[in-house]
Amino acid sequence: MPRPLTGEGETPAGESRSPGASAGPPPLAPALSSGAGTRPHVSEARALLLTALVLLAGVALGAAGFFVERGMSTWRPEVTRTATGWRIVQAHRAPLDGMVLGGNDLVWGCGPSIVLMDLPSGRLKLLGPGPAARATWDPSVSQRYVVWFEAAPASAGEATAWVYDSATRRRRQLATLGDVLSLPSASGYRAAWCTTTQDGGPGIVAVDILTGGQVPVAAEYGEPIIDGDLVTWPTRTGPTGLPAAWVLVDLAGDRRWSLVPATTLRNAQFLGYDLSGRILVWAETDPASGRGRVVAQNVDDGAASVVAEVTDGASLSSAPTIDGDLVVWAETPAAATRSRVMGRRLGGGPSFLVRDVDGRVLSTAAAGDTVAWLAQLGQTTFIETAQAPR
Amino acid sequence: MTAWARRRTPLLGPFGVRVLLWLLVELWVLNVADLLLTRYSLSLGFATESNGVMDYFFRSGTVQAVAFKLGIVTVGTLLLWRLRHYRTALIAAALLTGVFAAVVAYQALWVLSF
Repeated sequence: MPRPLTGEGETPAGESRSPGASAGPPPLAPALSSGAGTRPHVSEARALLLTALVLLAGVALGAAGFFVERGMSTWRPEVTRTATGWRIVQAHRAPLDGMVLGGNDLVWGCGPSIVLMDLPSGRLKLLGPGPAARATWDPSVSQRYVVWFEAAPASAGEATAWVYDSATRRRRQLATLGDVLSLPSASGYRAAWCTTTQDGGPGIVAVDILTGGQVPVAAEYGEPIIDGDLVTWPTRTGPTGLPAAWVLVDLAGDRRWSLVPATTLRNAQFLGYDLSGRILVWAETDPASGRGRVVAQNVDDGAASVVAEVTDGASLSSAPTIDGDLVVWAETPAAATRSRVMGRRLGGGPSFLVRDVDGRVLSTAAAGDTVAWLAQLGQTTFIETAQAPR
Repeated sequence: MTAWARRRTPLLGPFGVRVLLWLLVELWVLNVADLLLTRYSLSLGFATESNGVMDYFFRSGTVQAVAFKLGIVTVGTLLLWRLRHYRTALIAAALLTGVFAAVVAYQALWVLSF
């Protein structure tokens, strides 16, 4: 049998209170003397304090999760500010690679991660890969945009091009492409790369970063570099890697022509090339004779000049890079474990030492007066930046 | 309510109801903060919505996502307020507020660090 309902006004046991019973005048309510009635703010404050504790516990949990996850990330390097720039040292197993420099952005790869450093502040950003991707390729950077490729684990050769806009801090998909036949190259608001076309053959395309619109540049294979309206790629490379010519396409003038490399060394190995404005720079090295050259060549008239030459067993250790009138390269003296990052301005003056580096320089980059180099010492890779003298 | 039911679900006093009210207010505000931070993170292109239902509404449009998220949490808080005499409602509100605070703190730190 259910017990009778009892409420706030439950009477003591033994007493009865029927609704109809008359028990004289109702008793007066006693005056409130303490508790909520007299000090409601105390109760309110206690309630707020309690809810604030719940809130704080949640915030502490979320913050702990954030910092634990951040501490477990494998892309984050050790960063220190130096007298002339930054020193970024590999902190985990994956080495640093694919370093590029553009404007105030220094970008590199670390395993599958694409990492950006804002040079004025030193703040790091993980640009990729996205949640659906596992593989990335070396990035390229223009003054404002970073462009790179990502691919899902089971993408059957298909990749997507992504762009990060450092002005708006937003990342978005730029294009879908077939097989990745070259790395991307970015300049201004354009990018260029080589991929498989709809008919299955290779093709070089230029892509408008703002709209994603693609313009076919050539229906052939090549590893293009774009600067302004100019796209170039080497053709018919021989056994040493030295190209027989560079193809040049002016997107604005819709013009195509070839440039034969000048002042070449016999049997020299090709180290790589770069383009800025109307100047192409490239490097070759001949380990047998202990000679190496950095050559600058005008793409319009083919006029070439030797920017630097190493002799006596020294060797060039990386491809040259150019931005404006500044050419940067790295050389290793004979029987030395150190490298020298060197620079020279095409406007005049001799070559100068940017930095004597403890280790082997793998690549260099230049943007404005800022110079960066990726080097390796033992099993550790690191990136350093400095300012080139004017 | 029977005494049996009261033993299973202890009742809240006026102080507990007051705490519940503030927790529900916090929960609603945190829900709005979560919505704004999620929308901002998605617009940056770096984050993805891992909640399948919310992902569907975000893909449908911002208005739909806002209406659904505010609507579902408003209904939930009103339901908890209607059950305010039960201690279980207070426990549920405290847990939900704590979880929402953790999520919002994580997202806020992520956005600040970016």
